Amino acid sequence: MCSFCEKIELTAQYDSKFVLFLPLNPHRSQSCYLAIKISNTVFQMKMEDMPLSGPDNTKLEALVHDIYSELVEDACLGLCFEVHRAVKQGYFFLDETDQESMKEFEIVDQPGVDIFGQVYNQWKNKECECPNCKRLIAASRFAPHLEKCLGMGRNSSRIANRRLASNNNNSKSESDQEDNDDLNDNDWSYGAEKKAKKRKSDKNQNSPRRSKSLKHKNGDLGKSIISEPYKYNYNTGISYESLGPDEVRSLLTTQCGVISEHTKKMCTRSQRCPQHTDEQRRAVRVFLLGPSAPSLPDADPVVESDSFDIPEGQTLMNHPQWEDSPDISPTDSASSKASTNHSDSRKLKKKKRMTLNLNSGVGAAAAAVVGGGGGIGGVGCLASGSSTSGGSSQSSISLPSKKKRPKLSAASISSTYHDLN
Amino acid sequence: MSPAGCSHVNGYKVDNWKQNLRVIYQCFVWSGTAETRRRKVRQSDAGWTELAKSCVCHMCGAHLNRLHSCLYCVFFGCFTKKHIHEHAKNKRHNLAIDLLYGGIYCFVCQDYIYDKDMEQIAKEEQRKAWKLQGIGEKYTTWEPTKRELELLRHNPKRRKITTNCTIGLRGLINLGNTCFMNCIVQALTHTPLLRDFFLSDRHKCEMQSNSCLVCEMSQLFQEFYSGHRSPHIPFRLLHLVWTHARHLAGYEQQDAHEFLIAALDVLHRHCKGDTIRDDNGKKANNPNHCNCIIDQIFTGGLQSDVTCQVCHGVSTTIDPFWDISLDLPGSSTPFWPLSPGGDGSTVNGESHLSGSTTLTDCLRRFTRPEHLGSSAKIKCGGCHSYQESTKQLTMKKLPIVACFHLKRFEHSAKLRRKITTYVSFPLELDMTPFMASSKESRMNGQYQQTVDVINNDNKYSLFAVVNHQGTLESGHYTSFIRQHKDQWFKCDDAIITKASIKDVLDSEGYLLFYHKQFLEYE
Repeated sequence: MCSFCEKIELTAQYDSKFVLFLPLNPHRSQSCYLAIKISNTVFQMKMEDMPLSGPDNTKLEALVHDIYSELVEDACLGLCFEVHRAVKQGYFFLDETDQESMKEFEIVDQPGVDIFGQVYNQWKNKECECPNCKRLIAASRFAPHLEKCLGMGRNSSRIANRRLASNNNNSKSESDQEDNDDLNDNDWSYGAEKKAKKRKSDKNQNSPRRSKSLKHKNGDLGKSIISEPYKYNYNTGISYESLGPDEVRSLLTTQCGVISEHTKKMCTRSQRCPQHTDEQRRAVRVFLLGPSAPSLPDADPVVESDSFDIPEGQTLMNHPQWEDSPDISPTDSASSKASTNHSDSRKLKKKKRMTLNLNSGVGAAAAAVVGGGGGIGGVGCLASGSSTSGGSSQSSISLPSKKKRPKLSAASISSTYHDLN
Repeated sequence: MSPAGCSHVNGYKVDNWKQNLRVIYQCFVWSGTAETRRRKVRQSDAGWTELAKSCVCHMCGAHLNRLHSCLYCVFFGCFTKKHIHEHAKNKRHNLAIDLLYGGIYCFVCQDYIYDKDMEQIAKEEQRKAWKLQGIGEKYTTWEPTKRELELLRHNPKRRKITTNCTIGLRGLINLGNTCFMNCIVQALTHTPLLRDFFLSDRHKCEMQSNSCLVCEMSQLFQEFYSGHRSPHIPFRLLHLVWTHARHLAGYEQQDAHEFLIAALDVLHRHCKGDTIRDDNGKKANNPNHCNCIIDQIFTGGLQSDVTCQVCHGVSTTIDPFWDISLDLPGSSTPFWPLSPGGDGSTVNGESHLSGSTTLTDCLRRFTRPEHLGSSAKIKCGGCHSYQESTKQLTMKKLPIVACFHLKRFEHSAKLRRKITTYVSFPLELDMTPFMASSKESRMNGQYQQTVDVINNDNKYSLFAVVNHQGTLESGHYTSFIRQHKDQWFKCDDAIITKASIKDVLDSEGYLLFYHKQFLEYE
């Protein structure tokens, strides 16, 4: 019976074990907007334990039966009211869905395809637009690109500096510099000119886009760097005015820092550089950082006074070893003459002169980087460009030194490019 | 007048009709237990007192058959036997109320009608009765307004999310070692409460710039429920996370747990616009009582009790937490022994298969009383001196979503390695033994032998698992998430496949997300 108008629309089937309410036909009369959709399973109730009517019935069992059926009926009535209200208030149709379109969204459970029925690994060509530089980048390379783009990664500032230096040197800045960086995430490498040229020609064969300049760029990824012992760089000075106090402080913990009278730049050699005295170093620290400037650190483990080898700790940061160069800039201060004397006593090696921009910020970062997932932390070696200097780098200071291999721990270099997923 | 109402109620809505109606609801419809009924009756109008106990048909004496009460006078009549219809015809009292569900029947329209004012009264009375009965607030389903109905009618392409539907699932492209982020995103988008919050558009953004992470999460949910089948590229999310959590920035493999904490932190900070305002319209900007959705869902309270061994004075602090990090056997910190007098061997229905560690074991270890050695003496407020003490952690307040972090990555001074010990975890977890309240009752000598069936507050069910394959330096994260009850899916970056419960429970487990089974509404 329809609960509202008591017209017979409902069929009930009695089974010995189940009471089943079968679906009603939608039933609309003047006063009843009732369409009860009761699925077969919803009101399926087991009545095994319910006594069947028969001569063995006790009154108690009959009572139990009555109470039970009353409860069921009340529950059904509640459902009827819900549906009735939904129809009358006008939101009953919300339950309907488009059966055909729902089929599109069925879950697929077959080997070789995902739940949408799609084959694995067809998403190689997805691209997205970088929010920073607005370029279209391949999705699977987005993270490394963003790292460089935002200047957040280990190497970003180094690469940026290199770019700046190359721009300053009037060499053609490559539009694909960044792509090169993406692929050649590697910061050692400056080889001898011969090697550089060789590399350059290799590159030219492979990709005509690459450098035409005499840039000594990163070696190819995976090239063993240890095999190149002839790493060197020249340091130009650093202009202290452009640095913030934190950068200055970190710089002065590792470098000599004495300001050259002629160039007005800070000396970037080690803290035991023979060109300047300790007093000069102390004075410049007071000058730049105030009277509370940190004092110079204790003597390095390397005791040789005439050695220019960088102490152990610094090797990781400034790993290239200092090489001799026959060219000494006359703009150096008088004390540089002293270094020439030293250099005479050393074996000289002809090396290509390089300019280097040391960014103090990078220096600070390098120390922090060595800890982290085993990455390569290196600061020193930014090969930037040809030695012909425009404005910035005037002096190429010769740094005579013993011919020692840089104290590199092989592990730190050869380790850890993390596997891609 | 609402469209579902009728004009005939106007005749009723005179004088003190509201109060009368309330009385009817209170006494006869929603009065709950017999005690409450009797108690209520004492307070109400005397005229109804006598009849409150006699809710039977005035004509046939039956109490079944859908009893209705006339709204105009004191009369009860059966519906099925038409007694109330007769009364209505005779007395011209055209309105009656169904005593079982409170529906109003109009004899002129010959149908149940839904009048807005009357329904309002009905709802209020129902809430009052539930409160008295101790049921509290019940969940009410959503009902669209007129405007919403119109909109819905004009847009017939609706998708209903059934159990066999892919909507809500979507792959995520790996942007370069970002599998850790993808797994956490999958876990968050399948957190039911978070999903409901965002899909019902509850975030009101107050950030000026475009860099609100909560807005981006909201957008993410839109993408997941859009019905698109191609994987989503979460590049904007990555950019925002790196901008706001600098320590995570960088193209290298990272820890999913660290990402989870950082993401929750940024979301929490950006949720300022959704905090509750007090009466003056000022924002409740108390950092200790933030009420943003992240805090509501994820924040729990960890109670730390330090007991002085000399005077047995206890100093208690409660710290908020978003996750629980558990040590594992095989790490350099000793795992056994567990607390003395530990609970029953098979809590949570886990079986110790060949002596494998269970999540419950780890939790028991986490909450064991720990004797702080003589080198770590604490200043005792009672003794006013430094004494040895024991420290114990228990859960003061459990969050709605509890995240367990199995400390598989060891970064001690001696070694750095991954601990691959299998830890079995259950689908359903009962946190009662680890609560601060349980500990107190244990200490007071009451041993909880029987599980309190009525107190369902501490029952949790698993809904997401994040796994790591590989070594400490390099590896890959995948996750299992539960979409509908007992339907699990494996999310491996862009590839979503169906998984069995067995696959989930056999997996190694690194981050385990549990959701409270029963939610209380305030």
